[in-house]
Amino acid sequence: MTTVRLLAATYAALGLLAAGTHLPWLLAVVCLAALVAIGELWLRALTGEAMPPVARIGLAIASGLVSLPFVAITLHAAGVTIGTLSIAIGLAVLVTLLGGAVLVRERSGAAPADPRLPRMILAVGIPALLTLVAGFGSLQLYDRLPHPPPPGYTSLALNGWAAGIDRPVAIPARGVKVPVRISSAGLPAATEPLRVRMGARLVSGRTLAVAADATSSVDVFVPAPPDACLHRIEISLGASSTIFYGRGPATRGAATC
Amino acid sequence: MTLTRMVAEDRLDPPVVASPPEAPATASRWPGVACAASLVVTGAAGAALLVAANRAAERDSGDQFGFFWLGLLVFTLPAVFWLVRPRTGARLRVAVLTAYAGFTYLPKLLRTPDGPLYHDEFAHWRQAHEILIQGRLFEQNPIVKVVGDFPGLHATVASISALTGVSIWHGALIVLIAAHLLVVLGVFVLAAEIWPDARVAAVAAILYSLNSSFLFFDTQFGYESLAIPLLVWTLVALHRAMRGPAGHARYGWSAVTLMLSAATIATHHLTALGLLGVMLILCAVATARALRRSHPRAVTWTAWALTVAAAVLVVTYLVVVAPRTVGYLDPYLAKALDQVAGMAGSSGSGKRTLFRESIAPWWERYAAFGAQGLAGLAMAAAAWRLRYRRQGDAVSRTGALTMFVLGSLYFPAALLILTPSGAEGARRSWAFSYLGLAVVVAPVVVALLDHAARRATRIAVAGTLLGLCAVALVGNTAAGMNPSYRFPGPPVFGSDTRSSIPEVSAASEWLRTTQGRDLRIVADRYSGLIFGSFGEQQPVTGSQSFRTYDLYLAQPDRRIDPHLIGQLSSWRFGYLIVDRRMAREVPEIQIYFETNEPVPHDGKPAFSLGQLTKFDHTPWTIKVYDSGNIAIYRFDFASLGQRVSGR
Repeated sequence: MTTVRLLAATYAALGLLAAGTHLPWLLAVVCLAALVAIGELWLRALTGEAMPPVARIGLAIASGLVSLPFVAITLHAAGVTIGTLSIAIGLAVLVTLLGGAVLVRERSGAAPADPRLPRMILAVGIPALLTLVAGFGSLQLYDRLPHPPPPGYTSLALNGWAAGIDRPVAIPARGVKVPVRISSAGLPAATEPLRVRMGARLVSGRTLAVAADATSSVDVFVPAPPDACLHRIEISLGASSTIFYGRGPATRGAATC
Repeated sequence: MTLTRMVAEDRLDPPVVASPPEAPATASRWPGVACAASLVVTGAAGAALLVAANRAAERDSGDQFGFFWLGLLVFTLPAVFWLVRPRTGARLRVAVLTAYAGFTYLPKLLRTPDGPLYHDEFAHWRQAHEILIQGRLFEQNPIVKVVGDFPGLHATVASISALTGVSIWHGALIVLIAAHLLVVLGVFVLAAEIWPDARVAAVAAILYSLNSSFLFFDTQFGYESLAIPLLVWTLVALHRAMRGPAGHARYGWSAVTLMLSAATIATHHLTALGLLGVMLILCAVATARALRRSHPRAVTWTAWALTVAAAVLVVTYLVVVAPRTVGYLDPYLAKALDQVAGMAGSSGSGKRTLFRESIAPWWERYAAFGAQGLAGLAMAAAAWRLRYRRQGDAVSRTGALTMFVLGSLYFPAALLILTPSGAEGARRSWAFSYLGLAVVVAPVVVALLDHAARRATRIAVAGTLLGLCAVALVGNTAAGMNPSYRFPGPPVFGSDTRSSIPEVSAASEWLRTTQGRDLRIVADRYSGLIFGSFGEQQPVTGSQSFRTYDLYLAQPDRRIDPHLIGQLSSWRFGYLIVDRRMAREVPEIQIYFETNEPVPHDGKPAFSLGQLTKFDHTPWTIKVYDSGNIAIYRFDFASLGQRVSGR
């Protein structure tokens, strides 16, 4: 392919990549082709000589791939945010520089086209495509087969305002409702004991139905601690628990803490 | 002026000395059709067997090893036959090599189809994710400290993901599959630069694929997976630069060498140092040969000039861009050397037992030891052949001797594999040293095949060689990767690949959605992988200077070191992750936090449940989340030392 045609094809591919579509895998093919074309431009710009087709293919792929980090590092050094458009523009600038270098070099004579190259490209491309198809076919097969279920769990977490508790809570005399989040995955529905302990003392307890593969929020009433001393407050559901610390309203004798 | 003899335009096509001539491209089509048919059938059978191996592993039936190797060999053996067959044409050989590269990526593809699973994969996934979110490179990585300083791989992946819209993982697969193909074709082309025989080159590519990292480690979403192919292609360009006629062609190839060297450096520190090492060996060999007047001096000057330029690039990069790298690598090397000294001493301390508690079958373990012996025998034969059968031009000879020295480095690394700190480095070094081994042993293999005059003898020799290659592949892979990296299976605590149960992912998801991202958290190694990647947090798993593991190690009735509390508080650490499996199970890879942790590994869990649940009773740790195995505590350092009422 002549350099002008190669440049035109590369610009067109980069334009397509910059515009984007809803067909990511099609763009992936376009992207790979654009990178190989950029790699070929590197080779024409730097070496400008004939080489074995397989070496040319390998070097073109390698040079094309490394163009991406080169462009990304240049964008970073220039203080430009790395994104779809900036990468596409960066690659276009690189293509322009390489294309210019190739065209200047070719004024003194271009290397003759290698007639073996197209067939060698097919010799690499066809088995690569076949193994990709086989690989992703195997993945599909593997995905569709039944797999052992992963281990299940039930989690209990402070929720809502309580999820932000980062110091002892001042609990008013009327007590407080503490929202907790209960989530279950991979386990059958069950009934678990929901308990509130203040220090070693059980202050409330009831059973709670935990649905399978569901997340819910429950408000748990926590009464005020008997004094303004620091109290450990534990809300537990089965074997899981959340723990925070709280103080009751100030009363006489609080100094005895 | 031409400094060495002019090479043919295509060095793979001309008739060769040791082997019969290549078949012309216009020869009968039946070999191509037969080859395609046989490889499609065996490829499909092999893929099905690999799927069966994964299924067996999921059920923990123990049959996975047999299925796996059967699946791999059912394709690779016929592929090797077509590659080594004297009458195979150039295009067919390249096509088979491409198919070989594609098929040998399948085990890794089946192991991690959906997302990161290996330790370093989480680090690179996070780094690519950060690029897509922030649009910046060189962000610090909490999982592998220096990953961010070497953006080659994740910048490539993030760019492809951004340009095409495919996910980060799919972008990574595109790059990694291309890199895997590049390494196979690269070794083929490099060997063809040294031995002008396409059969020898193909055998070199196959022999390289027997190395311990080829199937799993160097196919992962890790920087070496891209850096190693770049190293190989840099050496190809270097050979071309040394051989090329003076003038523009040599300058051109020199520029390609430097361009690929720069890319290697920006991709992986160890591979950059490895590349520099290989180039220095090449320079030393070229200089020695130039002094004996068996080598044109201009070739030596070219080698030195490019090596010095690459060295300047490496040093500049490490000093200016990635100054943390030396501090990152140094403890591994220093500790490994200490452990080697300890092994040599009477105490035998620092020793690592190979395959300890491994579920690998006996034949894989024997093959692992056998592979070392085979490598030794092969290198001895290669040395003999290099000494008495000189072939190729001056550059080829220099290249061959360089590869021999490189291949010889395989054996000292075997000593390091016996030390806990050196094992990782030793395994990584084999991907380099096996390149040398493969390139110098390949002509020995082809000579053995060609030596047999009678058909029956040839078949016997070929069968024996294939068998030995199979032993080397099985043994090296078993030595390089433990089964939990190779196969799926029931959850195993303390395995990078199987600790990640849904419970851990759910905890990290809860923390991210309710408390935000980029929080500083204290965690063990395995929770840290998930919280630091998908959870988008900044986990710390401990080090000699920041001993966060002392939090877990402290006995329930003991005070936590105030210095550590001071560090956590002043550096605004917000959360503590506790995996209670640490009190019930021994980590599969003998690590709770980091390689050099001061935690006993005596076959029993190193923690009591009391050590891990003591945070339920300290007012400076608020338990905000609990799912049985995983608990998340929020630090409240202001409440440290406060007395809790017993009422």
